[in-house]
Amino acid sequence: MALDPAIRINLERSVILLVDDNPQALEALSGMVRGFGVRKQFKCKSGAEAMHIVKTQELDLIVIDSSMPDMDGYDFVRWLRREAAPEVQFTPVIMLTGHAARSMVEKSRDSGANFVMARPFTPEILLQRIFWVAKDERQMVKADSYIGPDRRFKNLGPPLGMKGRRKDDLSGHIGAATDPNLDQTDIDQMFKPARVQL
Amino acid sequence: MSEAEFIKVKYRLTDQVAKPGGMTAELANERAMRELAALGGDARKAIGATITRMEEMVKAREATVDAVYDESSTVLDIAGMFNQRILCDAAYSLCELADRLRTIGRHDWQAIGVHVSALRLIWSKDKNVGPDMKTVVDGLWALTDRFNPT
Repeated sequence: MALDPAIRINLERSVILLVDDNPQALEALSGMVRGFGVRKQFKCKSGAEAMHIVKTQELDLIVIDSSMPDMDGYDFVRWLRREAAPEVQFTPVIMLTGHAARSMVEKSRDSGANFVMARPFTPEILLQRIFWVAKDERQMVKADSYIGPDRRFKNLGPPLGMKGRRKDDLSGHIGAATDPNLDQTDIDQMFKPARVQL
Repeated sequence: MSEAEFIKVKYRLTDQVAKPGGMTAELANERAMRELAALGGDARKAIGATITRMEEMVKAREATVDAVYDESSTVLDIAGMFNQRILCDAAYSLCELADRLRTIGRHDWQAIGVHVSALRLIWSKDKNVGPDMKTVVDGLWALTDRFNPT
């Protein structure tokens, strides 16, 4: 489900925070978003640095590595969703993962990131995920055990203009009517209270 | 347990991406690829240095499984940004092996050594990684699968 190459996307005014403890991976990430036309980006090598940026800057998107020493990406998102100021707590997050260690599976599921991206990936895939975040209509869920986007995608169906990946994905398009329209009398009849013998 | 609260959120990003101007996805992708190409040399050196550290670990046989896992994750992290799939698959197999070894409380330098040698071989091919390397990775996974944590 690749992004339509002709689709226009404007990220000139978007402010993006990139977090990765590995300098080469961080530079690569930075190069990608620069290529996408992002003019303002903050680069951090740790969760602690990223927390400071969140507290002092207005951000439109955070892209963070899941595996970092001290505070990993999952802990950062948990902090963001639970303890950061209310105006920033739902900032969209794309989480980058490498190997899925056994001890991290539940933590990853419950982190509250908008999307999780497994390495390796191409710039095209990252751009697609940014586009998905921008079009993400899921509500945020606030519960004792989880704060983040509703993890149930299926109810919404794939974004308009895109083919779903699941065989039973519903189309977002309503499509053309197959039956003649109801006339006003029929519609009024539907709302008219009627006595029913039970 | 309290009930879940559902909150409708509107992202600024939604309005920004739709603003007039910007560029096509195709152009954005091309520009990003050019940026990545300029960084490829440094990334390759960093991966090479990480593999060297792992070779030293295998020689000394003193490092913990966690240390092997961390170094292999580093290879995966860097190679993953440059879409080096075969190198990533090999590094992933080593991460999985280390993860399984620590789960079952074992250490196996021979299996780790085979992985590190394979990583060096794949790395040395640079952009000329062929289907033969896929066979090497399949072999690594067969080795990793011998350590079953369940």
